[in-house]
Amino acid sequence: MRIDQEKCTGCGICIPYCPAKAITIVEKKAKVDEEACFECGNCSRIRVVRCPSEAFYEQPGLYEGTRAVRKFFSDPMTTHTVTKIPGRGTEEVKTNDVTGRVHKGQIGIAVEVGRPCIGTDIKQVEKITTALGKLGIGFENMNPLTHLMDDRSKGTISPEYKGERMVSAIIEFCAPASELQSIMTVLKKVAGELDTVFSLDLIYRFDEDGVLPIIPKLDELGIRVRKNAKVNLGMGRPLETR
Amino acid sequence: MTHSLHRRGTEESLEKDYVLLVTSAYGFNHEGSKEKMRKILDEVFEVEPCNIGSYDTGTIHSGVDIQEIRDALNDVPRVRCCFSTKEQMIKVLERIKELDLGLSVTVSGLTDEVLDIAENLELQPHSINLSLEVWGNIEELPSEEVLELVTMCGHGLISSGLVENCIEKIKKGRMTARQAAVKISHPCVCGIYNPDRAEKLLEKYVPRD
Repeated sequence: MRIDQEKCTGCGICIPYCPAKAITIVEKKAKVDEEACFECGNCSRIRVVRCPSEAFYEQPGLYEGTRAVRKFFSDPMTTHTVTKIPGRGTEEVKTNDVTGRVHKGQIGIAVEVGRPCIGTDIKQVEKITTALGKLGIGFENMNPLTHLMDDRSKGTISPEYKGERMVSAIIEFCAPASELQSIMTVLKKVAGELDTVFSLDLIYRFDEDGVLPIIPKLDELGIRVRKNAKVNLGMGRPLETR
Repeated sequence: MTHSLHRRGTEESLEKDYVLLVTSAYGFNHEGSKEKMRKILDEVFEVEPCNIGSYDTGTIHSGVDIQEIRDALNDVPRVRCCFSTKEQMIKVLERIKELDLGLSVTVSGLTDEVLDIAENLELQPHSINLSLEVWGNIEELPSEEVLELVTMCGHGLISSGLVENCIEKIKKGRMTARQAAVKISHPCVCGIYNPDRAEKLLEKYVPRD
């Protein structure tokens, strides 16, 4: 994002809104540190910051270079060209009753790198994808991050993206539930090597009797399951029963 | 991705916080779903959610009206909103069930409460997304009080700086807890941030100078 220095009055109302802390006042004008900026679009929204002089504008060519990934991974008002889904991942559990993305006996994992609050760069993300790649993980095709990989079998990301930063990037994949322990072991190890944080999600199918046998397995591994969750109520049609 | 499942807080606070997401599945049932979603949107709005919005417009708290949200539904339409009581959540789900339009419905909240609602309505939950906490360099995170507010935005667009700025204004008497709760809501364009819950949290955590 950029600020028209002719229009900016230096009022500073935009500063607290920036998740990247990229806006500062320099010589009585607001300026964006473009290296730090996530391109989330918060500052330019007329119903969010409400810049009185409408001084914010996107830099020309934003969607044409590698910097576009900042936009796709930070601004929910953009829709990724491949996935057709706004935001930075799949619809995960939200449409699982129709898509059957996570089958019975599988776990669906999402590692949301940078969330909450810290943000991330691609180098941090790649530490995790390459660690998971050694397990032979099949990364989710309908996730924009997977499309930045130059070798999906190894989880390596094309070098040209490594300088890019974003609010968060989500690593998504499905695996047999029997691989839970090995996946969690890898994640625990790599978590200790990160400069940022990640929020971890696990999708699982209910048994016919409404039981979730994955819960005691997570407990055995010492992994805390929070008391709030997102539940797909099975109202979608056609219903996927695999 | 709308990560309503990573909302932080006590059980007491979270039991008055339900996120409703109605979603068409791209490539499966999204074609022709716009009118169906409009019907659902009308029912949802009648039950008076504490927040509702869309990726395309922003939220009712930032000056959008329901007609604008209806008009802006795109080819892969979705409804995103939030309720502050279990009774409202039951009521809106009853209406959606009665419409029986075949679009996917998820509810985020305390798991036991959501499953209780499903049982009462004779719905059979299909799958669940569990939150397994935050990992990595957690020393860099802001205080738990700030996290409770910022994690109500599923896309991470509410900055800790905005929350801290509003807290300072409440302390100085320049803003009420309600005004701060609404101001903090604006970056969450989908409308899943709960301003009622935020107001209560701010009243609890921010004594005035």
